[in-house]
Amino acid sequence: MNLRALMLASVLSVTPVGADENGHADASGRALMDAVQARHHQYPYIYEEQSMMLTDRHGRRETRRMRSYMRIEDDGAVKFMLLFDSPTEVQGVAVMAIRESGGATRKYFYLPAFGEDLLEATGSSSAEHFLGTDFAIEDLTGEALDDFEYTRLRDHRVNGVDHFIVEAQRRGEATPALRHHILSDNLFIVRTDHLDQFGRVSKRQTFHDLRPVGGGVWRANIVRMDDLRANHQSLIRIEHRVFSRDYVPSEMFSAEWLVDNQRPIIANTAEGDQ
Amino acid sequence: MISRLFMLGLRYPAPVLFALIAVTLFAMAGIPRLQVDTSFDSLIPADDPDRVVYQRVMEEFGSDNKIVIYVGDDDLWTPARLAALDRMQRELQGVEDVTRVESLFSLRTIEGIQGRVDSQPLMADVPRTVEEAVRVRERALANPLYPGNFLSRDGRVTAVIVSIDDANNRPDFNEAVYTDIESLLERHRTDFSDLFQVGAPRIHNELTTSLFEDFRILGPLSAVVLVLAILLFLRSGMAGMLPLVTSGLTIIWTFGMLGWTGVPLNILSAMIPALIVVIGSTEDTHIMAAYFRGLKEGVADSRRTAVSYLARHTGLPLILTVITTSLGFASNLFSNIGLIQQFAIAASFAMVMNGVITLLAAPMLLAWFGPKERPLDLDDAASSRLPDRIVRLFRISQDRAPLHTLAITGLLCVFFIYHASQLQVTNDPLSYFPSHRPLIQETNRIHRDLAGVRVFYVTLDAGTERAFMEPRSIARLAEIQRFMERQGAFDLTTSLADHLALVNREFRGEFGELALPETRQLVAQYLLFFHRSDLESYVSHDFSKANIVVRHNIGDSHLLNRYVAELQDVVEHIAGSDFRATIVGENLMINRAAESLMIAQVKALGLLLVLIFLIMSAMFTSFKGGAIALIPAIIPIAVIFGIMGLLGIPLNPGTAMVAVISVGIAIDGTIHLLARYNELCRRTSDYVSAVHAAVKEEATPLIVSSLALALGFGTLLFSNFTIIAQFGALAAATMVFSVIANLLITPIIMTRIRLIGLYQILALSVDREALDRTILFDGMSGYQRRKAVLISELSDFSAGELLVEQDTIGRSMYLILSGEVEVVRRDPTGDRTLATLKPGQVFGEIGFIREALRTADVRAVSKVSTLRFDYDRMQADLKFFPNIVAKLNFNICRILGERLADMVEQAKR
Repeated sequence: MNLRALMLASVLSVTPVGADENGHADASGRALMDAVQARHHQYPYIYEEQSMMLTDRHGRRETRRMRSYMRIEDDGAVKFMLLFDSPTEVQGVAVMAIRESGGATRKYFYLPAFGEDLLEATGSSSAEHFLGTDFAIEDLTGEALDDFEYTRLRDHRVNGVDHFIVEAQRRGEATPALRHHILSDNLFIVRTDHLDQFGRVSKRQTFHDLRPVGGGVWRANIVRMDDLRANHQSLIRIEHRVFSRDYVPSEMFSAEWLVDNQRPIIANTAEGDQ
Repeated sequence: MISRLFMLGLRYPAPVLFALIAVTLFAMAGIPRLQVDTSFDSLIPADDPDRVVYQRVMEEFGSDNKIVIYVGDDDLWTPARLAALDRMQRELQGVEDVTRVESLFSLRTIEGIQGRVDSQPLMADVPRTVEEAVRVRERALANPLYPGNFLSRDGRVTAVIVSIDDANNRPDFNEAVYTDIESLLERHRTDFSDLFQVGAPRIHNELTTSLFEDFRILGPLSAVVLVLAILLFLRSGMAGMLPLVTSGLTIIWTFGMLGWTGVPLNILSAMIPALIVVIGSTEDTHIMAAYFRGLKEGVADSRRTAVSYLARHTGLPLILTVITTSLGFASNLFSNIGLIQQFAIAASFAMVMNGVITLLAAPMLLAWFGPKERPLDLDDAASSRLPDRIVRLFRISQDRAPLHTLAITGLLCVFFIYHASQLQVTNDPLSYFPSHRPLIQETNRIHRDLAGVRVFYVTLDAGTERAFMEPRSIARLAEIQRFMERQGAFDLTTSLADHLALVNREFRGEFGELALPETRQLVAQYLLFFHRSDLESYVSHDFSKANIVVRHNIGDSHLLNRYVAELQDVVEHIAGSDFRATIVGENLMINRAAESLMIAQVKALGLLLVLIFLIMSAMFTSFKGGAIALIPAIIPIAVIFGIMGLLGIPLNPGTAMVAVISVGIAIDGTIHLLARYNELCRRTSDYVSAVHAAVKEEATPLIVSSLALALGFGTLLFSNFTIIAQFGALAAATMVFSVIANLLITPIIMTRIRLIGLYQILALSVDREALDRTILFDGMSGYQRRKAVLISELSDFSAGELLVEQDTIGRSMYLILSGEVEVVRRDPTGDRTLATLKPGQVFGEIGFIREALRTADVRAVSKVSTLRFDYDRMQADLKFFPNIVAKLNFNICRILGERLADMVEQAKR
């Protein structure tokens, strides 16, 4: 049984749909996070068409359109790619992340205006934001659980809904980096606070427009990241989503595929800044 | 009426005392509401059109409210020092109101090596070894965006840039931020050789601290100096106490008013207590001198009588001097710089209130506690000997070479005016502090090791979105920066072009060449490697505008304005018609305000001189009088501006006020001198001796008050602010020059004219019936009669005294005001009484018309009071009043005609 099948089986056996509320009352932080991952990361191939809205501290917005590809390989490796379609100047730009089953993550950029090669992004911290957004790749792919230690905090009830609270501390660090707010009824993370070394919330990621997508799996159609210090935000709206292996072929995670599949540039002045 | 005002305190002591106490209590209640404004905003003209542009640029590209923390150490690049730096910058992030901390630990580097792009923090963690630390240093120095901004070119110094935001509009924002950061730095001082902060909170904090230090020192110091000076010269404890009481009340009233009205204190306010003490005391000195004269003139030892005397003789000059001094300060309201306006409101209010308080309190206090006898040694004291010596010295030149004295003075004025034309202007806030102050020295260190802390922006606006994704547009930014580099005036410029050139270099691996990307797509794709906050200071969100951030250390407004004007031309040329170019910055607006400071002061000075000219012309009912009153005021201004030009002392918000304030004060001495001269002229036809007498009488109060003023202004040298110290020194010098002008030049001019004071005309008390009865004043208005009367000389004779002697030549005509005279013709056959004349009748008219021997004696039958009209004096004095002359001549003709008719009648009989 490969890793992916094992993950799916464990999810189905441990977390019966609709029974999370009762089953995790005494679960540890890590156990809760395992359950979250098991329940909502059942689909290994996800293709999404997204629009991203970047809002600065003055409320001025900039919109980008992109496609997101993610697949979980049999060995547990995660491949992720964002491919920009607009604005025109950045059409074809791609950011790619490959998290090996061993935990190491490699990141690449593809800049069509620069050349046909992938540029490996070395040395960047996994928490770094990418391509001018407030998101780190980890924010979109989900963190590698083994990189963190989890502590469950006291549950919260917000607007009549119970939330499990779990703090994540990166191994080797002295202070927690993340605080997840997990809906108790479906184990979906609806809010993640990013903490600085003083425990203050520096960024807040929230998930909206939650929809069940089958098999007890929920997905958010809107993901928002607020940079509370700089007072700007990035918002991703999923326009279209497909869970299909065909949409996320393995060969696409390469420079050749990116070069071959460049869309013709069509100037569109309506896009971009608003 | 003025005398009555002066006597209010004497007549109604209880209500006046109650009113003084009530107003003082009310004012005291306002003092806790006092606000302090040390913002740079008050240094910028309210109507400066660049304010709007600046606000827009700040909103677009972010505030320039940043603190630079200087961290210097020879061993900076060691794990221990860098760990300390890391701890410190982490702690800084925890300080309230700190929104961002940029340091070596927050910097990112982009490095490209053979298909790999390493975009990462300069230091994700503290290096573990010295070698590792040195490698980090080399990487930082290789990034062209960092040397100057974040580290010195030798790597010994680094800067931590702290962005702050007063999001909660805390009134103590600057103080709190400065204190918090300072206490944090204090904990880390042992970690580094040099560690200090420079930024707006520190400057504001030092301005405020220095302001209150000045309050504590300057007011009391000036009071002590003044009291000592007065005691030395006037030898009277009361003379020393009076200014303390009046100035003490004035200070409370003024600060109370500021508290209640919300007009803030600023750095110029630091000198207000000293000014009140110093300037207010001049009036008190004149009052005490008059009071002593009142005692001296034999009106017994009654304090009341002496007060009545001073009310009669000092009331109007006092009010006039209050008006002119207040006008001097108020004329600063014409400045469009808030700092000066606020000071003008406070100071002119203080001067008016000082006059009111003196008017009400001084007579009351003197009547209660005034000395009963004139100080015995006043005439012999050093105080008198010194003025006498000065007067005697000046009289030599006045008597022997008056025209030469005037000519030399004129030439000196031309010399100083020439040098005044070389005056420089500056308005830089850091120039307000002396150069030895740590703030200035540390600011200069930041400039030397990193880049100047003064910032301005060069902004290009294309008006179309994404214009600054075009390489051609970005190239214009680089071209402007290259020009600034050639100018060599500014420390550092940073723009979008620098960021793109860096990324391009790293991606292409072309080290050493900072070329710009060549296509719009590449620009856009490179830009993805920056977070928006990295670029928000350099390009607008829609890429329609781009900004070059310029750091410099030029504190000379004139020089800066010249460089910026030069830059403006080039920027407009490079921008062409495609872009709208603006050069803005708070720092630039402040420095540009220096030019308007000059214009405003010229306007204020001009207006003040015109006002004083008109007031004095009205007071002395002659434009000549107005012009003469200005001379002793203008000479010191010419001299002082010339000295400023010679010594390179710039015109700044402090020194710019010297002229108008000094004119307002210097004119006081002239008023007293002219007023006394006019009084004396009423009793003598010898103007020269009248001038000498007036100068002798007024010399002591003039010199005492001027020296006291000079000493008082001199105390401002102890101010923490350079501009106030410069003001104090220049104002002190002006006081000395003005007393020289008053005692040397004014008397020379006075001897050549006869002025009549309006107040004399209004206050003239003569037998109205006599004036109504006389043909001499027939057809004249009351005003014209009085003026004619004042041009005459009042003479009193006792019974039997000879007024006119037969067979002598005399050119005076007399009008009898009271008493009777008889006209007696001495003939060989015996004396024959020709007539007995009564009040209203005239005699001596023939001698007035033509030089001839007197035809009869005129002798007083009883005590007689007459007005004597001297032909020569009338010719000289009345030439500016042709209407009066015409009427007088016509009436004299009538008198002669009637005499002729009488003689014909007598001949017929």
